[in-house]
Amino acid sequence: MTRPAAGAMRYVGQSKHHWHLLACVCVAALLWPEAAVAQRLDLTISPTSITFPSADPDVNPTIVSAPILVSVRIRQNQAALPWQLTVLANGDLIAGSQTVDITNVTWAATPAPPFQNGTLSKTVAQRVAAGAGNVNPAKDGSVTFRLANSWTYSAGTYTQTIVFTLSAP
Amino acid sequence: MSRWRLLSLALVVWVSAALAAPAGAQTSTATLSADIRTLAKLTLSAASVSFPDADPDVVGQIPSLGGPIAITAKSRATPASQVILTVVASDDLRSGIQTIAASAITWTVTGAGFQPGTLSKATPVTVAQWTGSGVRSGTQQLMFQNLWSYATGTYTASLTYTLSSP
Repeated sequence: MTRPAAGAMRYVGQSKHHWHLLACVCVAALLWPEAAVAQRLDLTISPTSITFPSADPDVNPTIVSAPILVSVRIRQNQAALPWQLTVLANGDLIAGSQTVDITNVTWAATPAPPFQNGTLSKTVAQRVAAGAGNVNPAKDGSVTFRLANSWTYSAGTYTQTIVFTLSAP
Repeated sequence: MSRWRLLSLALVVWVSAALAAPAGAQTSTATLSADIRTLAKLTLSAASVSFPDADPDVVGQIPSLGGPIAITAKSRATPASQVILTVVASDDLRSGIQTIAASAITWTVTGAGFQPGTLSKATPVTVAQWTGSGVRSGTQQLMFQNLWSYATGTYTASLTYTLSSP
């Protein structure tokens, strides 16, 4: 009876292990091919506080906030796929039990393109900018929010958060 | 290093990269803040009114010339608070030493929230009242009670309208 050498047995065991690893790599690569080529998205908003000062509606029918800087950078978008920046409000402007419909807030954005003007919504994300391919170096946009002023608003300090989302497929 | 060890290392690196790779979206949150303060603005279509001379037997109540005063009251108030428009006379109507009581002037009104009244020099009288913020319009027709007992003369008085909201 012949026994294989101990070294030969160890080699056979490692071989099986490594074939399993290889199979795992192949399956993973098939399931997540984008992992190796995922876009690198960078979004910066500054400042993140947007304020509308009190004003007489007859004098200032529209209240203009200080502009914010929106910086967008997209890398590794090798297939020149489209990208977009959207904004969605988490609700109406709220002060206690009082609300001001968020659609009273609009914005003006430059440069256009890729940035564009729009009106805030609490239900559907609204496009702020869009394009295709890489944006590298980063593209800076200026976004100025405006609140339609009205005598019908109740006095109070209204707040709401808005979420900017930079996405690419 | 054997190729199998390299393969293992590649797997570890790849899995790490997959886990650390950025999602297909980046988000950033900003906060909107709107400061809406209380504010009131009152507009009258005329800054002065006059009552012409008339025979008390023919015209017991003399309407002011120029017709009713158009009133626009704009107010931003705290929720459910009362917005009140009042008028008060600085004094009785005076012509030299002669006087006619301020209460000789009354008014009729049109418009939601407006109410008729009698002028007073002692207490502001409510002309209109509403709840909360808004723009309201109406008219006020001033009337002068015409009596034989008045001494002749040209009588004057100042009226102060006040729109207030808490």
